[in-house]
Amino acid sequence: MDEDLKVSKLLRLKRYEQPPPGYFDDFLHEFQRRQRAEALRQPSWAALWERIASIAPTFRVPQFAYAAILILAGGASALILTQQPAGRLAGADDSRTSFSLTASRPVTITDTLPVSARTGGALPSHYVLQSRPVSNEQPLSF
Amino acid sequence: MDEAPEPHDDELVARTQAGDPEAFDDLVVRYSPRLYGLIYNMTSNHEDTNDLLQEVFAKAYRSIKGFRGKSSFYTWMHSIAVNMTINFIKKRGRRHAMSLDDLDAGIHNDPDFIDATTGGDPRDDANLSELQQRLNEALQKLSHEHRAVVTMFDIQGMPHAEIAKILGISEGTVRSRLFYAHRQLQNYLQEFIKH
Repeated sequence: MDEDLKVSKLLRLKRYEQPPPGYFDDFLHEFQRRQRAEALRQPSWAALWERIASIAPTFRVPQFAYAAILILAGGASALILTQQPAGRLAGADDSRTSFSLTASRPVTITDTLPVSARTGGALPSHYVLQSRPVSNEQPLSF
Repeated sequence: MDEAPEPHDDELVARTQAGDPEAFDDLVVRYSPRLYGLIYNMTSNHEDTNDLLQEVFAKAYRSIKGFRGKSSFYTWMHSIAVNMTINFIKKRGRRHAMSLDDLDAGIHNDPDFIDATTGGDPRDDANLSELQQRLNEALQKLSHEHRAVVTMFDIQGMPHAEIAKILGISEGTVRSRLFYAHRQLQNYLQEFIKH
């Protein structure tokens, strides 16, 4: 007999290897139990993602749509970047171009008092120009 | 009264996709013996087969909404099973112990078994056990690609065209793999062939 055929006949005998009786009934129950356990263990976001992933192939999205979305996203990014202030982009000297909310020295309560209060009651010296108000001047008369 | 005819796979798939888990249970009942045989004969280990088969159906259940019917459900399920089993065998590597199922008593009356055990009493359990052991050892010596083809063709009786679809290869490749696998098996099983 052809040896190739003999090998085939021997291999066919492996069909007689069978799992224990009742195995397939138990198998279904075990499958259902695992599915329930899996569903309980799965976080809600994962369940949602899985649902989206499973129906995603059904979306009728034209092939070029992905490229169009990519180009639009790239364009938008470029537009945002070009509208930034030049100093910010170039990393210019911050001491000259940027504002700071922090003062060079701490602000104290005396800064907000009237001037007379800051000097211990005495008014600061002031100067009076030697002149009279215009309204007090004598009218020109010749 | 006649029983209602069994629903076609496509109907059960559509019902599962519409959210009826019991329809998928029917598919599990229908496919588990066949896929069990496929995985078991590739792994030669009952416990690994049990775990893998659970994972195969879990994966199929998760992915069934994406099944568009480009191939038959039969082909789709077998593809998942073969790919997952091959990945498992690759990861398992050489650390492997066989855990074989019992042989059905019907084997004693099979002419192929009687022929293979000529010279000894075919009812001798030692003969039977040795043949089973040697067959499984020989299969495990094949590469996983060759083992998959031999399992589907010789043990499960699938046609070349179906195997080609499941594995995503040409029928010519299926035939070529079978040829080389048989040649190797002839060497491993010499004592059962030459008499």
